[in-house]
Amino acid sequence: MNIESLKLKKISALWIIVILVLFIASIVLGILMRLNQGKVIEQSPLTFYTNMTTHGLTMIGIWFAAGMVAVNYLLQRYVKTSYGVNLFAFILTVIGVVMLWITTYAGKFSTGWTFLYPLPFRDLGSESWSTPLFLISLTVLGVGWLVWSVSLMAQILKKYTLSQAFAWQHFKSNASVETPPFILITTVTLIGVIASLIAAVIVIILYFAEYFSHGDFVNDALLMKNLIYFFGHTIANEMLYLGLAVIYEIFGEVSDRPKWKMTWYISLAWNCAMIFILTAFFHHLYMDFVQPQALQIVGQLASYLASIPSAAVTVFSIVAAVYGVKVRWSIVNLLFFLGVAGWVIGGLGAVIDATISNNIMLHNTLWVPAHFHTYNAMGNVLFSLGFFYWFSTQYVDKLVLSKLTKYTLALLIIGGIGFLMAFYVAGANSIPRRYSTYPVELTSGPYLAKVGALFASIYLIAILIFFYNIAKRCFVILSASSR
Amino acid sequence: MFRYFICFFTLACFSFFVYANDNHSELREEQNIYGKIYNAPLHLSGSSKVTSVESLYSRKPLIVALVFTRCYGICNPYLLQLSENIKQLQSNTDFNVLVVSFDPRDNLKDMTNLAKQYRLENNRQWNFATTDSINEFINSIGFNPKWDSITQQFDHDALLVGVNEKGLITKNLLGIRTVDDLQLMIRSIHNVFIPSYRLPTKSNIFSCFNYDPKTQTNRPGLGLLFVALPAIITFLIVIIIVIKSKRAAA
Amino acid sequence: MQQNSIMLFFMLLVGIGTIFFVSIFMSSLNADKDSTGVKNLLKKRFWFTLILIVVLGIFAAATLPKSPYFTFANETPSTVIHVGTMQFSFFLSTKPIDPKSPSGETIEIPHDQLVEFRVTSFDVNHGFAVYDPSMRLITQVQAMPGYVNNLRYKFTEPGKYHIFCLEFCGTGHPVMQATFKVI
Repeated sequence: MNIESLKLKKISALWIIVILVLFIASIVLGILMRLNQGKVIEQSPLTFYTNMTTHGLTMIGIWFAAGMVAVNYLLQRYVKTSYGVNLFAFILTVIGVVMLWITTYAGKFSTGWTFLYPLPFRDLGSESWSTPLFLISLTVLGVGWLVWSVSLMAQILKKYTLSQAFAWQHFKSNASVETPPFILITTVTLIGVIASLIAAVIVIILYFAEYFSHGDFVNDALLMKNLIYFFGHTIANEMLYLGLAVIYEIFGEVSDRPKWKMTWYISLAWNCAMIFILTAFFHHLYMDFVQPQALQIVGQLASYLASIPSAAVTVFSIVAAVYGVKVRWSIVNLLFFLGVAGWVIGGLGAVIDATISNNIMLHNTLWVPAHFHTYNAMGNVLFSLGFFYWFSTQYVDKLVLSKLTKYTLALLIIGGIGFLMAFYVAGANSIPRRYSTYPVELTSGPYLAKVGALFASIYLIAILIFFYNIAKRCFVILSASSR
Repeated sequence: MFRYFICFFTLACFSFFVYANDNHSELREEQNIYGKIYNAPLHLSGSSKVTSVESLYSRKPLIVALVFTRCYGICNPYLLQLSENIKQLQSNTDFNVLVVSFDPRDNLKDMTNLAKQYRLENNRQWNFATTDSINEFINSIGFNPKWDSITQQFDHDALLVGVNEKGLITKNLLGIRTVDDLQLMIRSIHNVFIPSYRLPTKSNIFSCFNYDPKTQTNRPGLGLLFVALPAIITFLIVIIIVIKSKRAAA
Repeated sequence: MQQNSIMLFFMLLVGIGTIFFVSIFMSSLNADKDSTGVKNLLKKRFWFTLILIVVLGIFAAATLPKSPYFTFANETPSTVIHVGTMQFSFFLSTKPIDPKSPSGETIEIPHDQLVEFRVTSFDVNHGFAVYDPSMRLITQVQAMPGYVNNLRYKFTEPGKYHIFCLEFCGTGHPVMQATFKVI
């Protein structure tokens, strides 16, 4: 084992432990929110909303980072990646998250992860220093991740030409060089990640401009909303694709199946996905009638079209790899398979919500958290957990499917389904999202919140068991010396 | 790149301060929307018969202008602007204009002279009229002139009222306005639904879209460039990386 | 009850999806050691993709014309209600609302007549969501500072309607509400 790969392993193990600890803390915050909505505990609205802000931003941050860690680790198989940049991103992420938690818990910053303009300037109850510190913490996170993404991109483009990285040569009948699917997906995803982070940078600059002008310079609320969702929607979507890149790379390997080859349709699908994903965010502005109708329709069509390449290529490939074939099932590919199922079901909920005529009934009801929790908690998280397992066990011990693991998976599924159903039913019952307590007229709200909290706790138990299994192996990797 | 961005940004901020203006006209323009205009009997200049407001708007949607002929103030420039704006329109035949006096002293001869002043006495689109029910008529619009006995003048707004074929007020315009605003009014008297509009109080250069009534579409604003900027910068970053790695290889 | 049909439709899709994934998984567990799996993969993928595109195309064509920007666009409303929003209250009035000293009034809207809400915000982004007497969301629009959104709706049932804020606007967000009557 050479020093370079050991260093990468150690930093990845460190990332995984930090991510899982923050994940558990954020789940607890989520359960507290549901308990408060269910009137089981009583917190002030300010506490509820600081919890909500912390929960949202931390979750997006850690699962994006988890995808990046996995991609960075596997990219080492094809190109040389920079350990220094990985470490730099880690340090900035930790600093950024600490600053974020200070703004929310010491500064009572509570605008939600969307921090829609001009709410951070009129956030009632928060300390005056919390808004600039919040913007600084976002800057720190953004800079760390931007440098990381650009560095990985640069490493890919050092080895592959631009057209090879996008696998354009596969449109011709006989491609001389094969682009591994992993490289293509990583390239496409990094493009989206960089674009979304730049949108965040622009938002932060515009916010600071208004902050330092002391009211002389006023932003346009519509522009800010567009930019914030460009950033927020795109990064939340791209982190799923980071997880998919990992599946393309190691699903075959752990299942004793041939590795997926690049073909013209995989190339076409991912190139299309790159375009659609950058315009789908318009569906967040359906209820803003100021947005021209053309963009609203683009939003619906792009949201629909984005599902075609992923369903026709990724889901179909997974299904084809498994259907009627003896597969060596382990916790890793089980998590991947389950994650794809969760991702598809969340996608169905998303397509329904991305339809403008349905959105008017569902916009900002609990249907929205319902669908994105489906493809995060039951999709992306499972992709990353699968990778964590694979990563932590490949050098420490063998992958076996023990009885305990099966039961834990069952807990995860039961907890996940129950917790999500509470969201979906509430969404269909017109219960609004982001309410610390429900008005008396909305009778089903508190009841469903209790159900959600109960099942989320079951989900948490499963995650705690997974955390124990993964973390103990990661500590072994951390304490290993180069031999 | 970043330096250019900052320069551009400063320039943009500066132009914003220059153009920002504060008026709350929109507030009062919203008055009496979808209320019915009073069906006042009218004496049209150049005609001896008594007609009514309804017989005018039921033929074609109507733009109503309220004036008095002895006005030393806004009435003349405002009528001039209206006639000039209408001349600039590409299709200007799908509505009529009614100029009504709200001054009891005005008679038909005064109104005919006013029409002659703008050479509109033979233009069938324009109707100059007096009415015997001034108060009912102006109350239905929410128009409220104040008599100043010292100057012997009315203190009043320059108000244009858009009336559709059912006699409902669909839009008001206060003050001397551009041809674009007039277009918006003409669209509204033809019952075209406009799902949104900007408040004129903050003529912000960072807006993503500006509604253009002429083409009935949204013109892209500077803000839209900002929405596209992330994609553009990403594209540039990729190009720079490609060029750099090519140089390093060579 | 659009929400009920949405939920039913979604549960149907979820059911199909679950059966699909479970049967795929079972087929792998029950497979022989030397079975090779799916044959004619490319052909099947082609048909799957084609069906998906056609289904989504039909779905888009059926739903896009029902978008709220086009409903009631060719009718003239009988009344206009001005809606001003502020942290954390709604102001509804038949007269224009002055942002500097906003005030509202009790609103009664006749049923089966088209009403136009002109919704704006005087501070941060808010939502304007109308709930019918059985507490179902029936229509909504966003309230954005600097812009006025026109929302048209025809109420069919008389009764007491609630308005809730559906865009997070600060700590008082859940208490921000108002009512009006349809007669």
